[in-house]
Amino acid sequence: MKKSLAILALAALAAGVNAEDKIVIKGSDTLGAKMVPQLAELYKEAGNEISFEIAAEGSSTAFTHLQASPADVGMSSRNVKDSEIEAFTAKGMELKDWTAAYDMIGVVVNEKSGIEELTLEQVEGIFTGDITDWSEVGGDAGPISVYTRNTSSGTYKSFQEMAMQKRDYGADTQKMAGNEQIAEEVAKNANGIGYVGLAYCEKDGIKPIAVDGVELEPKNAKEYPIARSLHYYTVNGKLSEAATKFLVWATTDEKAAEVVERVGFIPASE
Amino acid sequence: MSLNDEKKTPENEKDGRVVFRRKGFQFLGMGLQDYIRVFFGGNASLAIIVLILICLFLLREAAMFFPDHHQGLKSYRQGGQELVGYVSDEVDAHTKVYSSANIAYFAEVGRTSIHEDKQLRAYRTVLANVEQSTKYTWARLERYLDEAEDLNDDVEDLREDIEEASADAEADAEDLKKDQAELAEIEARLKQLEPLIAKEREQLEKEVQTALGTSRVWDLDIAARGLSDEELSMVREAVVFEAYPDAEDEHESIQNLKQVSRDKKAAEAERLADFKETLNGIRDSIRPMKSLYGEMKDISVANRREIDAFSTAPARRAALLAGVEQTDDPAEKERMQKQADEVVIVEPDYDAINEPLYALVPQHGELAGPLQDEMNKLFRQLPQEVETKSARENMKRAAVYYERFDNTVTNNRDRILDWRHDAPLSLWTSTTSFMFGKHWITNSSWHDFYGLLPLFTGSLLISIIALTVSVPFAVAAAIYVNQIARFKEQSFVKPAIEFIGAIPSVVLGFFGILVFGEALRNISQLEWLQWVPGFPMAERLTILNAGLLLAFMAVPTIFTLTEDALNNVPAAFSENSLALGATKLQTVFRVIVPTAVSGIIAAILLGFGRIIGETMVVLLVAGNKIKIPDFTEGLGVVAQPAHTMTGIIAQELGEVDSGSLHWRALFMVGMVLFVISLLVNWAAQRTLKRLQKI
Repeated sequence: MKKSLAILALAALAAGVNAEDKIVIKGSDTLGAKMVPQLAELYKEAGNEISFEIAAEGSSTAFTHLQASPADVGMSSRNVKDSEIEAFTAKGMELKDWTAAYDMIGVVVNEKSGIEELTLEQVEGIFTGDITDWSEVGGDAGPISVYTRNTSSGTYKSFQEMAMQKRDYGADTQKMAGNEQIAEEVAKNANGIGYVGLAYCEKDGIKPIAVDGVELEPKNAKEYPIARSLHYYTVNGKLSEAATKFLVWATTDEKAAEVVERVGFIPASE
Repeated sequence: MSLNDEKKTPENEKDGRVVFRRKGFQFLGMGLQDYIRVFFGGNASLAIIVLILICLFLLREAAMFFPDHHQGLKSYRQGGQELVGYVSDEVDAHTKVYSSANIAYFAEVGRTSIHEDKQLRAYRTVLANVEQSTKYTWARLERYLDEAEDLNDDVEDLREDIEEASADAEADAEDLKKDQAELAEIEARLKQLEPLIAKEREQLEKEVQTALGTSRVWDLDIAARGLSDEELSMVREAVVFEAYPDAEDEHESIQNLKQVSRDKKAAEAERLADFKETLNGIRDSIRPMKSLYGEMKDISVANRREIDAFSTAPARRAALLAGVEQTDDPAEKERMQKQADEVVIVEPDYDAINEPLYALVPQHGELAGPLQDEMNKLFRQLPQEVETKSARENMKRAAVYYERFDNTVTNNRDRILDWRHDAPLSLWTSTTSFMFGKHWITNSSWHDFYGLLPLFTGSLLISIIALTVSVPFAVAAAIYVNQIARFKEQSFVKPAIEFIGAIPSVVLGFFGILVFGEALRNISQLEWLQWVPGFPMAERLTILNAGLLLAFMAVPTIFTLTEDALNNVPAAFSENSLALGATKLQTVFRVIVPTAVSGIIAAILLGFGRIIGETMVVLLVAGNKIKIPDFTEGLGVVAQPAHTMTGIIAQELGEVDSGSLHWRALFMVGMVLFVISLLVNWAAQRTLKRLQKI
């Protein structure tokens, strides 16, 4: 009896210690699906005694979450909105923006499609619904099926700003839950087109196309027209020391940069 | 507790309401049984209170939608976006005409090269399949080949160095030796690579052959339809040729095909030069209008920004002031205070900001007439006779769109002239534009539209399909199990059907995406099924897919309730019928089913309630296209994707700012669903009551 009590007490103690050294990171699916979990693993392997809690449910959740517990980190694939900044100001908090990495959004088509390249104008036409048939852009005749992210996604908005001149998506576009689902549908539909993060472009059955003659390759990040930066957001003055250390490491360390590159982004330090 | 305890309390036994025969546990003058009664009674009333609170909460959030929505529509008008929207409609209508005619043109251009294009497509399909199934070996082989190539380059360099060094008497013997050693090392590695490459190549060859052999996949069948065996074997040969990482250019026959296809297209294009010229004329005719539209759009977007800034300024100021209270840092305090003082809350001068838009209205009038005339002329110049089916269809579509474009411009003329930014906007408009609005556009950089119709039609269409499929099955199964089946059958079929209800809907959703959707689409490609409207289906995620899955989910509900209704028919009815000499079948269909019919209708209604409220399956499987389905395709409409009321709430609610208009709009959708459910349940209760009267 005494022994088990001692174990219980020990467990409670351990839990207490853990609770202090835990970094909670929430937000974007683009960052949180692969990059941040892998960074966290590597960070732990490097001998840092710390635990992570990572939840990736979309960029907007980063800010709602940060408001509730300012000690943590938010991930976002878009810039913070004015209305979101206001909510923080109202609580006397100020946001700090860390560039996590750069991302290129790949326009992908089915592997069987004859299309290898589109101009940015054609991409805009396809996603706004002005162009509805592949024959209009030099492919075999067939109605285009357009797959996009859903409206809450940061990628949805960034793509609109970078590739569609902020015009609205066409009514015929289909809103998918995530990168994975878009890749899946495009891979199964010979007339499909969609956009996914760089990390998803190599999936079976799809191929990224060149936009304005620029191939989707990390080395072309500067010329490729649909590229953006990814962010970590934190609250000034409230961030724990451990989390600060982690963020500095994640954005500057060479090993971290390797991870960032491996999951298909371009490290912030470059 | 001993017997003694009981005996001490004889008064309890006299009490008729004894629940536990125990010695009076008394607290605050109430016994145990009283507490139990209060507990259960309290639970029931708690449930009712919670229900009422939920209703009130829903109602409050939803009711707030209309004033907010009204404000949004008002800003849309005050900023001049409504006016610009008219011009935008004209431009969009024009784009549709051009696009359809353009598709028709390309269909004509590709008319003679159809066969070549088909072979090329088959080639790409087979190649993609082969590449997918051989990609690991391919990657390994590529790595080895790359390494070998690099090494060979090194060898060449080294040899050159060595040659130079040995020719040069003054060269360092040490260096020479080092080079030679390195050369030997590299050559050893190359030797090592040779068998590896050979092995991988052999492996790849085997895999390519297997992949070719098993390539009897659906899409290949379709791609190869209409190709001769000879052509197919050519395609295969070209694929085998291309399937290695060191393959040079594409196979000769493919290059040939491409060239032939290009030549044929060029020849057709030459023949259709007039067509193209007219098309270019159409494309260019909108240019002046488009640039006017761009100019107006910029103005109205700036206006809208000003209006929105005004409406959010008080909030911004309040936020900053609250921040001043919250923070302890004096410097921060001062900075925020300063920012708060800088926030100006001045209502924009609507007349002034719309002035430039009014100034552009006459210009629109000047452009509209000539545009219509030119389009009229150009449209008549388009060829009336086209060869291919696709071109004919698209020309027909273009004619419809042209008509629509012409009407839009004509109707808009007065509308644009009469438009006033300060025209009153009734609250009723806010309601109707939600209930009957045709667009649901959120997170827009222009203006968010909240129109229920696309979502409502999607939900309704899916429900109708689900009901038409599930009702016959479920009702027939219930009649059979209840009246005709033997006991053994009964005891197997009933639990089996009821088990369907236990399948989690998210599991069904996954099944719908990965298995059912794929199978449905493949079946729709079968040649002998092409008479079915909507076939072949382009999408996996469609109204039909969702409807059929929901039908499956509704079967247990309808089945169980129908069976209950049949059970409720008094035994005397069937006994009388049988006694009068009716057969069993006559009894079932002339007596029992007609008696139970209101119960069956109630069952169907409740099944409908189950279907229209289902979320997970439709979210995953319906395809999420926020557009009113195109009913011009007749029954083929079911092959289109759609979005639903339940789906949109699940998809968007998690991420919108609470209290925003978008958030409230979603609550309003929830409210509509709630009302539908309520009505359906009420109707079901009513029909059931009628059953009880007989």
